Amino acid sequence: MKKSMAVITAVLMLLMSACSGGGGSSPSPAATQPAAQETSQASTESSAGASLIVSWWGNQTRNERTQAALDLYTEQNPGIEIDGQFSEWSDYWNKLATAAAGKSLPDVLQMDYAYLEQYVSNGLLLDLTPYIENGTLDVSNVSESVLDSGRVGDGIYAITIGINGPSMFYNKTLLEENDITIKDNMTLDEFIDKCREIYEKTGYKTALPYNVDLNFTEALLRGVGVQLYEENKLGGAEENYEIYYGLLKMGLDEGWHISPGVLAERAFGSVEQSSLVYGSSPENMSWCAMHFSNQLTAMQNAAPEGVEIGITTWPTADPKLSSYLKPSQFFSVSADTSNPEEAVKVVDYWTNSVECNEILLAERGIPASSVVADAITPLLAETEQLVSVYINEVVSPNCSPINPPMPEKASEVMASYKAIEERLAYGETDVVSAAQEFYAEGNRILGGN
Amino acid sequence: MKSISSFINREKSAGIIFCSPFIIGFFIFMIVPMLLSLYYSFCDYNILSPPVWAGLKNYAKMINDTRFYKAIGVTFYFALVSVPLRLIFALLVAMLLLKTSKLTAMYRAMYYLPSIIGGSVAVSILWKRIFAVDGVLNSILGIFGLNRGFSWLGDTRTAIWTLIILAVWQFGSSMLIFLSSLKQIPASMYEASGIDGAGKIRQFFSVTLPLLTPTIFFNLVMQMINGFLAFTQCYIITQGKPMDSTLFYTVYMHEQSFSFFNTGYGAALAWVMLGIIGLITLVLFATKRLWVYEGGL
Repeated sequence: MKKSMAVITAVLMLLMSACSGGGGSSPSPAATQPAAQETSQASTESSAGASLIVSWWGNQTRNERTQAALDLYTEQNPGIEIDGQFSEWSDYWNKLATAAAGKSLPDVLQMDYAYLEQYVSNGLLLDLTPYIENGTLDVSNVSESVLDSGRVGDGIYAITIGINGPSMFYNKTLLEENDITIKDNMTLDEFIDKCREIYEKTGYKTALPYNVDLNFTEALLRGVGVQLYEENKLGGAEENYEIYYGLLKMGLDEGWHISPGVLAERAFGSVEQSSLVYGSSPENMSWCAMHFSNQLTAMQNAAPEGVEIGITTWPTADPKLSSYLKPSQFFSVSADTSNPEEAVKVVDYWTNSVECNEILLAERGIPASSVVADAITPLLAETEQLVSVYINEVVSPNCSPINPPMPEKASEVMASYKAIEERLAYGETDVVSAAQEFYAEGNRILGGN
Repeated sequence: MKSISSFINREKSAGIIFCSPFIIGFFIFMIVPMLLSLYYSFCDYNILSPPVWAGLKNYAKMINDTRFYKAIGVTFYFALVSVPLRLIFALLVAMLLLKTSKLTAMYRAMYYLPSIIGGSVAVSILWKRIFAVDGVLNSILGIFGLNRGFSWLGDTRTAIWTLIILAVWQFGSSMLIFLSSLKQIPASMYEASGIDGAGKIRQFFSVTLPLLTPTIFFNLVMQMINGFLAFTQCYIITQGKPMDSTLFYTVYMHEQSFSFFNTGYGAALAWVMLGIIGLITLVLFATKRLWVYEGGL
């Protein structure tokens, strides 16, 4: 009797450990835990029939609206279950890469221009051309150039779900209180004068996109006719990279740029932690922030009471060359999905359904379909109307085509850029050396070392 | 059937069957991934597509990588500073808690609490807020008029210390181990030394410490290994900034593997780390007989 009790207990324990996932006794790095959870969840979902996983990155506003739009879709299409999963920008790509390795990518995934080429070249995304041709995915109201932005090689791998343009947000209330005006399409010199003026009159400093990414630098380079990423090398010459580094150094030396220590604590790219809307005194707050137009709503929501956020172009030597219409993000379909038809239908719903976009209200940018964009414009709140006007009247008439998608090693190049930027900010190097070093490093990384 | 029931009825079998869940779990979740990681370290692997054999390329790359050396330097510094500090605090507080009073149980719980919650993400986020420019520490300094708006997390000299202090704050678990060892030292030892004329301090260095050396050794090895493996705190609080002054080895490994998609290189880094930790543990064990009292009480 005793022995058989022991056997029964042991078998029960075996079953329990199999369910909870077993595991050794040594501390395992936190990074592996969420990945393991993710893949097990994904595999149970996609094997249950018409059950889809949709993933995106975003902020609070976007999460709420996206979930509501997905709920509407499941209401309209009974039999389809959708599991929406979201995370912060920086974590999103880690999770996605791990899911890719485990062959359990979400069925519909939000994709960015920066990673599109890499995911396509590794065969992870579904070519949507057959679905466009047979009508499942209706892109008749999407302009050619917008559709092309999701094209890699011969196939279309991603559909734009929002168009936006580079935009500088600024504290309109602060400027109005101090009788300072700025105009669209500022040049760099005009911008620098404004920064100095604002610092003198109000004590508010400026925050360039320090330690965030290379978007602003790329735009500055476009302004002098240089393309940042060329085939296996950096574009332009060393001197071109002195533009941004020089601007940053000047700001720090003259005192109108926020100290790097303050910015080091913020989660990079986060709207809620931007020094435009968050900070305890003018010393660590900025009057402006470089972002993209679709983030205006989130920024306005994060701003303190009574502060109005204005929108204008990034300062640059040549606004027409610098400015561009960018697909803010795409939806792609995983190449391994077990429900390609259903997944593509979700993308079609996103592109063409007016009801869906009435919920989303252009939070990701102007909808790709002109019909939908027109339909929702009257419904947009004041802030989103501002964005619409900005895109249609300021950016569109005065811009040039977007650069080709970033190459695979782009994230390593960006890390190198940020490391050198940090050293410059802490006074460990000067502008010329920084530019030389980055030019050499960038070329080495892109050249395949 | 007969052989199965006779198998179950043997004494040894109960032990094997009870161990099996752990052994199976250990094998599936530790051994297999470790072997895979060893394979990946010899490959070109970018996580998005299958690995391609590349020989010793990743290890060769490591030799020329300045950030690799920086990461090792920072991690060693962190481990070699935070572990002794932690053990010293643990021992001191354990000594204080030897005298039992009504409040001892409460104190013990209070000191132990940080070591349970300290490694979590939530505490790391809070810690970041404490040392922020407009955070708690600067506010408290402001009460004494000492607030200069200093950026503790933004200065290369102080950023690593925020992490060290976080590690030392979690001394509770070591303290409990010391406490139980201290209680095992027979009072007769202290009486005898007292009769021979030893004062409190002499007693500490000549009686307490030598008898504690096995426990100190155990704590040292365990904490040293954990120190090298620290990840969460660094990843949440500093991510290696400013200027790699807080770039823990594990964070560098994570960055290479998942942000740069050099996962093969990350795997190679992991195995080098295993080698380094193994070597250090070996050294510790080799020098053990020089200072650890093996005689038992």
